[in-house]
Amino acid sequence: MKLACVVHRFGADIAGGSEGHCRLIAEHLAAQHDVTIITTCAKDHITWRNHYPPGESRIGPLRVLRFPVARERELHRFMDLSDLVFADRATAEEQEQWFRENGPDAPELLNHLRQHGAAYDRVLFWSYRYYGAYFGLPLVADRAVLVPTAEDDPLIHVDALSRYFALPQGFLFLTPEEETLVASRAPAGKPSAIIGCGLDPVLAAADLSCLDSLGLADRFVLYLGRIDPNKGCQTLIRHFQRYVDGGGTVQLVMAGPASMPIPDHPLIRPLGFVDDGVRTALLTKARALMMPSPFESLSMVLLEAWNHGLPALVNARCKVLRGQVERADGGLYYGNTIEFIAALDYLLDHEDAARQLGRQGLTYVDREYRWPIVLNRIEALLGAF
Amino acid sequence: MSEAKVSVDVVMGEIERDVRARLRLHLIKRGGAADYQDEAIFDAVHAVLARAVDERNLDATLLPELVDGDVDWRLQTHLTLTTHRPGLAGRCILFVKHTFLLPMTRWLFEYSQDNFRRQDHLNRILFACIEELALENARLRREITSASVGKPV
Repeated sequence: MKLACVVHRFGADIAGGSEGHCRLIAEHLAAQHDVTIITTCAKDHITWRNHYPPGESRIGPLRVLRFPVARERELHRFMDLSDLVFADRATAEEQEQWFRENGPDAPELLNHLRQHGAAYDRVLFWSYRYYGAYFGLPLVADRAVLVPTAEDDPLIHVDALSRYFALPQGFLFLTPEEETLVASRAPAGKPSAIIGCGLDPVLAAADLSCLDSLGLADRFVLYLGRIDPNKGCQTLIRHFQRYVDGGGTVQLVMAGPASMPIPDHPLIRPLGFVDDGVRTALLTKARALMMPSPFESLSMVLLEAWNHGLPALVNARCKVLRGQVERADGGLYYGNTIEFIAALDYLLDHEDAARQLGRQGLTYVDREYRWPIVLNRIEALLGAF
Repeated sequence: MSEAKVSVDVVMGEIERDVRARLRLHLIKRGGAADYQDEAIFDAVHAVLARAVDERNLDATLLPELVDGDVDWRLQTHLTLTTHRPGLAGRCILFVKHTFLLPMTRWLFEYSQDNFRRQDHLNRILFACIEELALENARLRREITSASVGKPV
């Protein structure tokens, strides 16, 4: 088949969840199909400033078409509009304007879909909340598959989405919780599959020597990903400080680019962006993964941790994370500080049980998230209409 | 080597029981409600409030709909600049407001924005708690009514 994957940003150096998901799926689909990535020139997810050159290029097995962003995101206007839309006080026009302001506003991308969309057998759109997916999908609805990457946030309740979710011919969901969330807004009977994301087994033993140079000899728990208040990191740090105030001695290692201040604390170790070698070593040596995000459609970091046999401690207020942990029997969850402290104590004090939780997570990944399994589900959906 | 399965439900059940017990003792020690001496009462109160906080959709509660006609209870965190003056004078005033006043106001506003949002969230949790108590009350009334049918007053 000739497939197009529409995504708001694209590049090997882009850390975002849905962008990374799109890249992995597209690269694996390219073994069987002719895959084109339709994206923008943006790299920065806040401003959408043009970074990559427009036009056609090749990245590995993928043909990439980039279109320029016509205007950068005006954050104040976007925040004001978000307040209206999320409080359910926006008109239909304001709701539509929200998707325009969210961007990245790339009219030439829409023109390409309008003029050449029929040349593709299937057009897959990632993340309904972005301009390209929201305004592009209706242009090729007869061949569109939506990967909503929906989260249980106020946007999902916006009226405009009832019409939008009726348009695609099929859905690829990341978790059962996401399917339930979108199914309540979409007409019944559309073909769909829950795919999550594929992972390769961890084969080689990790080289842990890089951790010595980082001074990580003592036991530590790990946060891996963008360090951002929207990812629950402020709350994680607050919980962790209460844990330390109560006598806890484990270190919290935070690996990822930071977009918020991290307190100068003897047991909190920010590492910034880390390369794959350090990432693997951290996942191998850590005692548990901390996943505090309140909104997720799928936590790929959680799957990666389980792939290394690492148990997790997740935010129970995020239904997806709690659901993943319960299905896998791969960790514990917390809803407040006291539960956080008690659950972390359990994972650190019951080493055998914690290791077993990590192993159960790995078994779950083996059962649900190996690439052949994931690709079979996608192929079945692509052939279902 | 394969070890015995660890059930998340079982472990979390133990942790949650332990947390509730510690919380109850903490509140009693701090002079909380005397009824909390009774563990069953504390557990029942905890269950009702936890349901409101954890399980309710804070964007779909009844009380805000009822008060909405009288007052706009929602915190207004966005700024809309207008002028009553028509024509060129009005446009000039708006230009000045947008160019000079708006950035300065935003600069001051952003210091307090987190607190506004926190208060907004808390308001919605309180609405959910009140609704959960009202629901509990309605259920109990119905049970009492059906239990008392046919019994002497």
